[in-house]
Amino acid sequence: MTTSQGSLTPPAMGTSERPEPPIQVAGLVLPLLAAIAAYTLAGLLGSQAILWGLLIGAVTAGFVWWRNFVQEIPWLVAIVVAGPIATSLFSSVLRSRTTVIEKGLSSRASLSWLLFGLVVGLAMSQASRPRLPGIAIAARSMATALAFGLSSFLALQAGTSIGYIEALRGREIDGGAIQFLTTGFYVQAGAILLALGLAAAVALRLRNGVLFAGASAVVMTLVAVNQINFSVKEILSSFTRLGALAGEFWPPDWAWPKTIGQPEAVHIFEPFIETLQIAVIGATLGCIIAVPLAFSASRATAPNYPTYWFSKAFMNVFRTIPDLFWGILFATAVGFGSPFAGALAMIMFSLSIMAKLLSETVDSIDVGPLEAAKSAGARHWQMVQYAAYPQVAPNYVAYALYIFELNIRASVVLGIVGAGGIGRLLDERRNFFQWDQVMAIVMVIFVAVILIEIFSIWVRKKIV
Amino acid sequence: MIEFTEASVVYPNGFRALDKVSLTIEDGEFVVVVGLSGAGKSTLLRAVNGLVPIVEGSVKVHGQEVVGATAAELRELRSRIGMIFQTFNLVNRATVVSNVMMGRLSKVPRWRSILGMWPAQDKELALQALERVGIVEKTYERASNLSGGQQQRVGIARALAQEPTVILADEPVASLDPVTSHMVMRDLQRINRELNITTLINLHFLDLARQYGKRLIGLRDGKLVYDGDINDVDDDQFREIYGRAITPDDLLEGAEA
Amino acid sequence: MTVPDLVPDAVSDVPRPKEPQFTKWLRIIIVVGLIIPLLWSATGLEISPSRIWEAPGQIWTLLGGMFPPDWTGTPKTIELILESLYVAWIGTIIGATLSFPLAFLAATNVAPRSVTLPVRSFFSAIRAFPELVLAIMFIPAFGLGPFAGTLAIGLHSIGTLGKLSSEVIEGVDDGPIEAIKASGGTYFQQMRFGVVPQALPTIVAYWLYRFEINIRASAVLGVIGAGGVGAEIVGRLRFRGDWPKAGAVLILTIITVLLIDTASSIIRRRIITGHASSSRPAKWMAALLGANDEPSTEIAEA
Repeated sequence: MTTSQGSLTPPAMGTSERPEPPIQVAGLVLPLLAAIAAYTLAGLLGSQAILWGLLIGAVTAGFVWWRNFVQEIPWLVAIVVAGPIATSLFSSVLRSRTTVIEKGLSSRASLSWLLFGLVVGLAMSQASRPRLPGIAIAARSMATALAFGLSSFLALQAGTSIGYIEALRGREIDGGAIQFLTTGFYVQAGAILLALGLAAAVALRLRNGVLFAGASAVVMTLVAVNQINFSVKEILSSFTRLGALAGEFWPPDWAWPKTIGQPEAVHIFEPFIETLQIAVIGATLGCIIAVPLAFSASRATAPNYPTYWFSKAFMNVFRTIPDLFWGILFATAVGFGSPFAGALAMIMFSLSIMAKLLSETVDSIDVGPLEAAKSAGARHWQMVQYAAYPQVAPNYVAYALYIFELNIRASVVLGIVGAGGIGRLLDERRNFFQWDQVMAIVMVIFVAVILIEIFSIWVRKKIV
Repeated sequence: MIEFTEASVVYPNGFRALDKVSLTIEDGEFVVVVGLSGAGKSTLLRAVNGLVPIVEGSVKVHGQEVVGATAAELRELRSRIGMIFQTFNLVNRATVVSNVMMGRLSKVPRWRSILGMWPAQDKELALQALERVGIVEKTYERASNLSGGQQQRVGIARALAQEPTVILADEPVASLDPVTSHMVMRDLQRINRELNITTLINLHFLDLARQYGKRLIGLRDGKLVYDGDINDVDDDQFREIYGRAITPDDLLEGAEA
Repeated sequence: MTVPDLVPDAVSDVPRPKEPQFTKWLRIIIVVGLIIPLLWSATGLEISPSRIWEAPGQIWTLLGGMFPPDWTGTPKTIELILESLYVAWIGTIIGATLSFPLAFLAATNVAPRSVTLPVRSFFSAIRAFPELVLAIMFIPAFGLGPFAGTLAIGLHSIGTLGKLSSEVIEGVDDGPIEAIKASGGTYFQQMRFGVVPQALPTIVAYWLYRFEINIRASAVLGVIGAGGVGAEIVGRLRFRGDWPKAGAVLILTIITVLLIDTASSIIRRRIITGHASSSRPAKWMAALLGANDEPSTEIAEA
C-alpha cells in the first residue's frame, strides 16, 4: 500500500546514519549452504586432496572476507593455503595403515582440522577491532581450532553412518575400499565438518550461542542415531509386528491372580498395596529428612561453610543416582526381594529431589527476617524455623505432593530389581511371556497413577 | 552503657565501613546517627550487637565485650538489644503474634520453640508489646495484610518483646510516608522516655533528627565527625557531615526547606 | 531485670482479640493425617526394629565391598554410559519435536476447549506409564537393546514435555497475539510471531531439563535389557567378588551425570535469563568456548 503523503521519514531525520543490523542466524545459513555445496562439488571432483583442500580454503577465506571478519590479505592467503595442507594430512591419515575406521583413526585424522581451525581462529582474532590482548587471541584461536577438530571427529563418526558408508562400519577396509570412501564419504563428512566448523567459528566470533548450540545438537543427534542404530524405517516396519502382538496383550487376563501359584493364590492387589506403602514411607520420611539438608545447603541458612559445602556436595551426588539404582543397591545390601529395601530406596530418592528443590527455593527467600531473628538472639535453627521456614512452607507442601506422585511412579518398578512391590509381579509375568497378565498389571498401575495425580492436583489447588 | 574504643569494621570484600570510632553512650540516652548512605551508619548500629566483623578496637555493651565474644555470649547480648529495620524484616506469611514471638526465642527452652508451645508469660509479654504500639487488634492477622506503618509497629513490638535495655533502629522511617514517619518516631521517643531504653536511631532526614533527637552523631566515610547536643548543630556542621550543602532531599518535608 | 509494665494508659482499653482455633486444629489434623498412613505403611513393609538396627551395617558392608573400585572394565563401562546418553538424547529429541506442535493444541489460550481436552488427556495418559513399564511393553515388539528403550523414553517425554510446554504457552502475554490478529495475521503467523518468541526460551530450557532426567531413566533401562549402563550395575552387584567393579561403574555414572547436569543447568540459566551466570563452572565453560571477553558492541563495528 502506498500513501499519497510520501515518505515516512522527514528530511531532517534522513541524515542520521542507520545502524548496521546484527548478523542473524538466518543470514548465516545461506553461506553455510554454499560452503556445503562447494565441498560436495569438491568431493565429486574425485580424491584430489589438494584440489578440494584449496576449495575449502577458498570458501572459508571468501566467507570471512565477505562477512567482514578478516580483511587483511596475508591472513586470507594463509587460510586458503591451510586448506590443502589440512586435507592432504587428513586423507593421508585415512589412507595410512588402518584397517577399520574406529575412534582412534578419527581422532588422528581430526588433528589436521585442528590445524586448519587454528589458522582460521588466529586470522579472525588477529583482525579483531579493538585489538584483543594476547591471552584472548590464544584462547579464541584454540577454541576455534577445537571446534574444527571436534566437528571433524564427529563428522567422521557420523559420516560413517549415513547412507553410503553403512556397509563399511566396523568392516576391514583395504586400499580399494578407501577409494570407495573418497566420494560419498568425503561429501557427507566434509559437508558436516565445514558447516559445523565454520558455524562454530562464526558463533564464537559473534558470541552467537544459538547457532553454536544448534550445530552441536545436530551433530549429537547424528552421532546418537548412528550409535544406537535408531531408524524410523524400523519403527514403521514393526507396526505390522505390533498388530500380531496386540492379540497377546489383549484382552488383559484378570483371572490369573486366583488360579496361579496354588495353593496360595497371588492376589494382584496385595503387592500393589505394598507399592503404595513403599511410596508413602519413602515420600514422608524423605521429605522430612530433606528439610535440614536443604537449609544446610543454602548459603543464607547454612550453619557454617563446611556444612554448606558438604550438604551441597551430598545433594548433588545423590541426585545423580537414578531411583532404580537405589533399589538395586539397597536390595543388595539389606536383602533381595524385600520391600524394606524399596522403602530405603524411595527415601533416598525423595530426599535428593526434595533437598534440591527446597534449597533452591530457600536461596531466594528474603533474608531480612533472618537478620531480625539473629539480632533478637535466636539460635541458628530457631532462626531457620521461625524466619526462613514460613517463607518456603507453601512451596514445601507443593513439592511434597509432587514427590509423592514421582514415588508412586518409581515404586511400581522397584520390584524388577528385587526391592518389593508390584514390580516383582510385573517382572515375573514378563519372564513367563504372559503378556495378557502383564497388561492387567499395567492397567492397575495406570489407573492408580491417574487417581493419585488427580488427588494431588486437587490438594495443591486447595492450598494455593 | 555502650562504649566504642577505636573500633573499626572491615567487610570481607575489603571495604572499611567504620574507621577507629570512639564514643560512649549512657543508659537511657536517645541518640540520632546521621550521614550519607555508605557513611557507616548501619555498620555502627550493627557493631553494637556484633552483626558485623569488628577487626580492631573494642565495643562494650553493659560491660560485655562484643569483639571476640563466644556465640553464646553474643546471643545473650543480642537478646537484650532490640533491633528495628528499614524494611521491617517481618515474616510476611506468618501472623503478627508469631513475628513478635521471635523476640522471645532466646528466652525459651529449645523444645518449646521447636514445638511452638510458648509459656503463658511470654505470650503475655508479646501481647503487652503489641498493646504498647497500639495494634493489639491485629494480633492474629497475617503480617502481609498490614500497612507499612503497622508493619513497622510490629517490628517495634518484636523488639519490645525482648525486654531490651537498648534499641537499635536502622532507618526506621525510610520506607514510610511523612505522617506515619512521625507516628513511628513518636512511638520510639515515648518508649525511650517511659521505659528508659537506650535508643540509637539512624536517620536520613535532618528535620526528623532535629525534632526528635537529643544527641547527634555524625558519620562520614566511616569516621566520627560530629558528636554533641542536637540543638548546638548549625547548617555548617551539617554540611561538614554530608560533605555538601543540604538539599530538599535531605528533609522529610522537602518543600518546606 | 524486672519486667517493665509496658501498657500505657491510653491504649490499654483496646480489647485483645481471641486466638483463632482453626489453625490449631488444622495442625493436629495434618499431623494425624501423616502419622496414620505412615504407621499403616510401616506394618506392611516387614520393618522390624532389628532390621532397622542391622541396616546401617549391611549398607556399610556393601560400600566397603565396592571400595577400592576395580577400574579394569572402564572402557566397556564408558561405552555403556555413552549408549545411555545416546538413548536419552534421541528420546529427548523425539519428545521435543513431537510435543512442540501438540503443546499448542493443549494450550487453552490458543486452542479451543474441544481440542485441548483430548490432547491433555493424551498427555496425562502417556505420563502415567513409567518409562520402564513402557519399555517392558516395547521389548516384545522391537527386541532387546537400546531401540525399545529410546522409544519408551521418547513417548514418556512427549507426555511430560507436552504438559510443561502447554503451560508455558498459556503463560505468554496475549498482547502480541492480539496485535498480529489486528493487523490481519493468520493463525500460524500469530503462533510464529506472537507465541513462539515468548515461549521458546522456557520450552527449550525444559527440553534440556528433560534430557537430564532422561539420562537417569535410560541408565535404569539396562536393568530390563533395553540398553545402557543399568545392566552392568545389576550384573556386577550379583556376585560379591564383582562389587569393586560395580563401584567403578557407579562412580563413572555419577561423574558423567554430574558433569552433564552442571553444563545443562548453566545453559538453561543462560537461556532463561539471557546472560551468562557468574558461577565458577559457568566461567570455566565460557573460557573453554572463548566467549568470555568480547564486548558486544564489536558486532556492530564488524
